[in-house]
Amino acid sequence: MTAVVAESLTKRFGDVLAVDDLSFTLQPGTVTGFLGPNGAGKTTTLRMLLGLTAPTSGRSLVLGKPYTTLDRPALSVGAVLEATDFHPGRSGRDHLRILCRTVDLPDSRADEVLKIVELQTAAARRVKGYSLGMRQRLGLAGALLGDPELLILDEPANGLDPEGVRWLRDFLRAFASTGRTVLISSHALAEVAQTVDQVLIITHGRFVVESSLHELTSRVGGSVRVRTSKPEELKEALHREQLEASSDQQTLVVRGANTDRVGEIAFNAGVPILELVAEGSSLEEIFLDLTSELSS
Amino acid sequence: MIAQLKSELLKVRSTRTTVGLFAGMVGLTVLIVLLTGLLTHPDDLVSKHDQRGLFAPSAVALIFSGLAGVLLITSEYRYGTIRPTFLFTPRRGNVLSAKLIAGLLTGLVFGAVSLSLAIGIGSLILSARGIPSTLSGSDFAVLIFGGLAGTALRGAFGVGLGAILRNQVAAVIALLAWDFVVNTLVFGLAPSVGRYMPTPAADALMGLKTPHLLSPGAGGVVLLAWTAALALIGLALTLRRDVT
Ligand SMILES: Nc1ncnc2c1ncn2[C@@H]1O[C@H](COP(=O)(O)OP(=O)(O)OP(=O)(O)O)[C@@H](O)[C@H]1O
Ligand SMILES: [Mg+2]
Repeated sequence: MTAVVAESLTKRFGDVLAVDDLSFTLQPGTVTGFLGPNGAGKTTTLRMLLGLTAPTSGRSLVLGKPYTTLDRPALSVGAVLEATDFHPGRSGRDHLRILCRTVDLPDSRADEVLKIVELQTAAARRVKGYSLGMRQRLGLAGALLGDPELLILDEPANGLDPEGVRWLRDFLRAFASTGRTVLISSHALAEVAQTVDQVLIITHGRFVVESSLHELTSRVGGSVRVRTSKPEELKEALHREQLEASSDQQTLVVRGANTDRVGEIAFNAGVPILELVAEGSSLEEIFLDLTSELSS
Repeated sequence: MIAQLKSELLKVRSTRTTVGLFAGMVGLTVLIVLLTGLLTHPDDLVSKHDQRGLFAPSAVALIFSGLAGVLLITSEYRYGTIRPTFLFTPRRGNVLSAKLIAGLLTGLVFGAVSLSLAIGIGSLILSARGIPSTLSGSDFAVLIFGGLAGTALRGAFGVGLGAILRNQVAAVIALLAWDFVVNTLVFGLAPSVGRYMPTPAADALMGLKTPHLLSPGAGGVVLLAWTAALALIGLALTLRRDVT
């Protein structure tokens, strides 16, 4: 069964066509980045998937059914749309216990997820006193209550400090490594580049790109930074494969290839690799290129 | 449905909002009974009508039950918790039904406490001042059951109003303006129409005998009709509207 299916999803707010005939399918076990600049229609799309907003036309299925017809969907789908959806005067634990009640989960489940998101010590405090990072984690804890197989998060990294972003990345990787599905939106490609294996990029409610991260990098000629103890030999090997590299001492920057390709070439040439990175900044450039093309 | 109700009741208990309203209601009830009981001339505390007025500080419990109902739902929209609520229970009718019941129960508790305080303190004052009790057992029965039914319905009434308006400030103002301005004006200017308004209907339900009021039974039917109308409109809108 597919995890998520969108069929010609369309949402119009008066004159604004927020989401324009969007169709896509997410297979189970994939981690998908849903990307686009501000106002692209990401949140609106997620709201439609989750039954909060009715599409003007089109439809969507989550785990094979429209979300609103799932029986106790929280037991299979975890979702967070806003990082701030808490009553400030209520404790984090009570917030979770309230959600537990609706699906007959025991209160102890609230404490389990608080542990997962490392909020145990703040659990009894009122949310009023939580930092933004703590609220993000509490929101995530709510999504995890039902031990879902699909996680849908709208801009979960918003407002997190670098440590928080890393924590989230590690968490999502661990979550996905158990074969579960993740759909996470972001307005910055670099933010999710290390977490996702495919991207959906939209702007003005329409797709610009729908591909794996690898394809994306190679297709638009992203660059790879590689550090090696034998730069000259690697440069030659790359040259034989029609790839140009600029070098600065031990570090080469290869354009028009992805990390898989460069790694294989180096391996075949018997060149030791000390470091191999898809360049984040160039990913960001790709993203800006793609999204501004349609905007202009 | 039971699960959702448990969740709604924990929502009510886990913040200070309802507790604060409850405390406010208790304080005002006690104050009004004390002032009325101690300062009113004994001659004006003898008739059944006077004593009902003393024991039924209706406005306070009715207002606070309505407010508690309004906040039960508008605070979800205000703080965005409506999103997780609907994500966990996408059948919005279940959420609203559970909230209506939670509103009824909250109103019931408010009414029970308010009536106990008013009747308890009021009776003590009467006996301390040597004024005989003139209300019969059946008068008390109407006062108590009508009062409980009235405040319970008002809790659900507030939920319905809040579901329609969603905005907390707007809903609180609407409730207060309706009670204090609209009801009073219409009842004052055209009592034959005004007695069908929610507050006069609730007064009638408790057996108050202010001129022009309906009978307790008719008052109950009218208040129930208002509550059902608000609840149904609120339900229809909640099912249709986008949550953003
Ligand atoms: N409730 C609404 N009423 C009117 N217009 C809306 C509403 N919600 C969204 N829009 C419009 O729809 C478009 C898409 O908004 P949406 O919030 O889905 O974008 P987004 O991709 O999530 O952006 P961001 O990165 O800023 O969160 C925007 O032009 C926005 O102004
Ligand atoms: Mg958004």
